[in-house]
Amino acid sequence: MESLLQVKNVEKVFGKGTNTFKALEDISFTIDHGEFVGIMGPSGAGKSTLLHVLATIDSPTKGDIYIEDENVAKMKGNQLVDFRRDHLGFIFQDYNLLDSLTVRENIVLPLAIAKLPVKEMDEKVESMAKAFGIAAILDKYPYQISGGQKQRTASCRALVSNPKLIFADEPTGALDSKSATDLLQALSSLNEEQETTIMIVTHDAFAASFCRRILFISDGHLFKEMNRGTHSRKAFYQMILEELAQLGGGGHDVI
Amino acid sequence: MTLFNIALKNIRKNMKSYGLYIGSTIFSIVIFFTFATLKYSGDISELAEESKQISGIMNASAFVLIIFVAIFILYSNAFFMRKRKKEVALYSLMGVRKQKIGFLLFFENMVIGIISLIVGIVAGFFLSQLLLSLLLKLMGLNIEIGFVFSSNAIIETMIVFMIIFLFTSLQGYRIIYRFKLIDLFQASKKGEDLPVAKAISVILGLAALVAAYWLALQDLTSPVWSYLGLAMPIVIIALTVLGTFLIFNSVLVYVLHRMKNRKFWAWKGLNLMTASQLLYRIRGNAKTLTIIATLSATTITAGGAVFGVYYDTGKTVEQSTPFTFMWQGHEENIDSSIVKESIHVDTKTIRVNSEQMEKEYTVIDQSTFEKLAKALEWEQTALNLTKGKVAMVEPFYNEQWMEEVANVSLQDVNYEVVQMYGESIFNLSTLPGTVIVTQDEVYNALHAEEITYQAVQLDNYKTHIDLSKELEAKPSTVDFSSAVQNYQDTLEGTGVMLFVGSFLGLVFLVATGSIIFFKMMTEAEDDKDKYSILYNIGVPKKEIKRTIRNQVGFVFLAPLILGLLHGTVALVAFSNLLQMNLLIPVVIWMATYVFIYILYYFITIQGFHKTIFHSIQEGN
Repeated sequence: MESLLQVKNVEKVFGKGTNTFKALEDISFTIDHGEFVGIMGPSGAGKSTLLHVLATIDSPTKGDIYIEDENVAKMKGNQLVDFRRDHLGFIFQDYNLLDSLTVRENIVLPLAIAKLPVKEMDEKVESMAKAFGIAAILDKYPYQISGGQKQRTASCRALVSNPKLIFADEPTGALDSKSATDLLQALSSLNEEQETTIMIVTHDAFAASFCRRILFISDGHLFKEMNRGTHSRKAFYQMILEELAQLGGGGHDVI
Repeated sequence: MTLFNIALKNIRKNMKSYGLYIGSTIFSIVIFFTFATLKYSGDISELAEESKQISGIMNASAFVLIIFVAIFILYSNAFFMRKRKKEVALYSLMGVRKQKIGFLLFFENMVIGIISLIVGIVAGFFLSQLLLSLLLKLMGLNIEIGFVFSSNAIIETMIVFMIIFLFTSLQGYRIIYRFKLIDLFQASKKGEDLPVAKAISVILGLAALVAAYWLALQDLTSPVWSYLGLAMPIVIIALTVLGTFLIFNSVLVYVLHRMKNRKFWAWKGLNLMTASQLLYRIRGNAKTLTIIATLSATTITAGGAVFGVYYDTGKTVEQSTPFTFMWQGHEENIDSSIVKESIHVDTKTIRVNSEQMEKEYTVIDQSTFEKLAKALEWEQTALNLTKGKVAMVEPFYNEQWMEEVANVSLQDVNYEVVQMYGESIFNLSTLPGTVIVTQDEVYNALHAEEITYQAVQLDNYKTHIDLSKELEAKPSTVDFSSAVQNYQDTLEGTGVMLFVGSFLGLVFLVATGSIIFFKMMTEAEDDKDKYSILYNIGVPKKEIKRTIRNQVGFVFLAPLILGLLHGTVALVAFSNLLQMNLLIPVVIWMATYVFIYILYYFITIQGFHKTIFHSIQEGN
């Protein structure tokens, strides 16, 4: 089976002339359909740059990124926007909900943009809201609900259009541990039941332990890969912590 | 480095963000100085001496202009200060004392003021020369004029604007004192409830507007007028303003609510977003939108009326002065190649005593009438009077206001009035009053002194001002009246009115447009994040642009439509009152207005896009 995401020799350079900075260097990996992958690393390692490049929000200086058989690194302008709309979903640390719309309306937005029939939109919103446990608050406004509920709403919005690939940038960064657990459990059960492919960037070992596989990057290089395999989530969490401790210097800012 | 130096440097370094503020200040000064120059210019002063009306118009307009310019500058100053809050906060955070920051802003504003005053006066000088020649042309005067330079205008402009700048500078000072550092860290933005419309205010709003329109379209003879009397205009204006406010505050909110809840419409593209953004925007801006709609309505009405009167000058003149020349006395020698018609008119004046009043009638015979009617190209020129019947010519006859006269008795003989004409058959300043047409024999039998008049019709009458003056100067032409002279006089008056009207109209329009522009720019600043979110979740730029177009369009369109509607009703009432057909001039005027308004819309859209997409690019 062909991989969903194929990253080949990606390099990203910021700046011009002599004053350049290599944020990413020679990054290559693949992600298959239905995977739940985490990307970890200390601050400044290039996690966010990598996510931006993969999510087509920024373009790489060199290299290719294939999503299925399309090379998004070579796409431009409207083509990119259409691709992003049709195939990718995003979850951000600060939720990015629209204050003036209700939870239901926020979730329906990507579907409305794709111009689906109203009945179908209604059904999708309902079932997605149930999966994330927010069916009861569908008609509330973002300022009336908690941070955890906001992030679940944002996740619903990212998943409702059934994208091929979900990118989550520090999704639990602003949540307390209970809310974070709820969200991650919802994401991982969606991943298991519906084989949604999810990639999250995090420096929180707890969040990362929900993933099936973790890629570590440091100073713009990919230097280690960990698979959860048959380990329990708790055992995996310990493994991650050990790995982070070995990473040294950056160790303290990952906890 | 002194404080003054910092202030100067501040302006130099931030030229771009200062540009908008300085631009609108200079614009105000140019407008005001130009107007002041016109007011003090010799040619207009001469006219003004002749006509108290003109100097009155100019002074009143200058006053309106001052108020308007002051509001406009205050508005752009507030916008400007809002943009600079962060800068102020930074100074404050670094430990600069409030007093010092206040002084800095005060100096800076004064420097801006003085620089714009100089630039504005120079630019205004050239603009005023251009407008002055245009004005003289509109007044129908062919005078060559040199450069007009008026020290009075400069002094007046300086005084007015120094006061305004002093005020805005103090305003800046005040902002510093009210300012709290916590404003910089607006950590928790409180959510606002979605505005809801109360049914009662929806109904009240619509009812107020309908009532205002209904009242405005009532005739002067209607019972409502006699009931409300002179309070009528005030009642109409109050109802209109109230209705306009409630339309924005409730009716539109209600409509948008309904639209937002209709999934078939709302859940399509970004309609949902557009509707909810507008809901907050319309309600939050109901006051501003009401002001804009009222201003637009005023501009449209005043401009339309003035332009209509100017456009109608020829017709108005012809109504009261149908013949090119008319005088009492004998025929004069006029170049026969330009004479279209020259009629010798014999009249008798008959005094009639009726029960209520005494009235004088001018009597002419049927054959004279037919000649006159033919010369004036009336539709019905043949009048077949039979015995005992007469016709009556009553200038400005109005079926609604006057009772029809069925009988008239001349020297104790009673005649039946069989025909009524509502136009003037003579030049009113030569021979005013009601005219009775009798059979030739009846006329000859009347015992009264016969007075002879001459009525002359020329080809292209507007061009014979010299001949008119020549004839008027002759002692043999008694009670001389001239359509040429009349036209010229009227044109001078209405020309100034037109000029002042369109000048003020333009200023109002520009100010209205600018207020919306500033409002929308402030909102673009607030909405930046929302559009970034949309872009991040994959909404194409095309869709974002479309929702911006719709939102800005709605905010522009709603007050414009209301303004046009109010204006139309007011102008219909006005033309009914004056019995003028204003359709063509009013349509021209409205089209011009809408055109400039649309230009503003596009400028605003551009600014909005710039703000939004600039932030989206940066966000990457």
